Amino acid sequence: MPIGKPKKVAAKPGPPVILETENYLLRSMREEDVSEKYIAWAKDPELMEGLNAPARSVNRTQLKRYIKSFDNRTKYHLGVFTEPGGVHIGFFTIYVDNKFRSAQTNVVIGDRDYWGKGVVLETRAAIIDFLFEVVKVDKVWGTPYERNFPSIFNYKAQGFTCEGVLRKHIVNVKGQRIDQYVFGLLREEWLASRETDE
Amino acid sequence: MTNPHDIEALETARRLLAAATGCATADVGDDAAIGAFEPWDSLAHMRLIMAIEEETAGEVPPEMVVAFGTLADIAAYLESAQTPA
Repeated sequence: MPIGKPKKVAAKPGPPVILETENYLLRSMREEDVSEKYIAWAKDPELMEGLNAPARSVNRTQLKRYIKSFDNRTKYHLGVFTEPGGVHIGFFTIYVDNKFRSAQTNVVIGDRDYWGKGVVLETRAAIIDFLFEVVKVDKVWGTPYERNFPSIFNYKAQGFTCEGVLRKHIVNVKGQRIDQYVFGLLREEWLASRETDE
Repeated sequence: MTNPHDIEALETARRLLAAATGCATADVGDDAAIGAFEPWDSLAHMRLIMAIEEETAGEVPPEMVVAFGTLADIAAYLESAQTPA
């Protein structure tokens, strides 16, 4: 038998994800979802600051390629759409670590008309359910930046624990070193909070 | 809270939280907390921290940003921020 690296076989993408909440539909982004609005979010410095990414011009081809890079197994890119209406107002990206059964989530609500309306709390609850029940992770976590107060609020309101501060951990788009928080939620904590809600 | 400074800090915290949430001060109970006081949402939280920073003329340190969860937390911070070291 020849010695060498085994041939890499790319895993088939998983099935598209569809999650419904009371007011929103979350589903895997499709190439046809690339719109002028979605392109404009990438150019918006305020929105991109929340992701610590520079605002930049992207074209349809680049965004379609970006959408295709999510495999619905370890990487998910879910659009947030109003229900009813189907207006695209934001998106989540989710990265799953299968080895340690954890998942990191990021969210952008690009449509400012929906800020302060509890969209993140409602939609992320469905995502957390999906991650614990279907993907079978044991932990969901996120890493908001030090001055991203709405994001910090949402993690606290949703029962995440601040597990630590990564001091001067990253460089923001202005070139300043800034802190980053680590917020984590364990499966048992989520289930307990769900029981309390009921 | 019984001493005048504590009461003053609590009332300042109530005023700031009321302004941030667009409520009357009378609507902000002593037990106001994230998750229990509905008008306290993510945008109100941002406005609240900005207002605290204006009130104390300084940036809220990172360890405190994540500690704010109740009206009492804010009052305690205002009290400590205004007490000479």
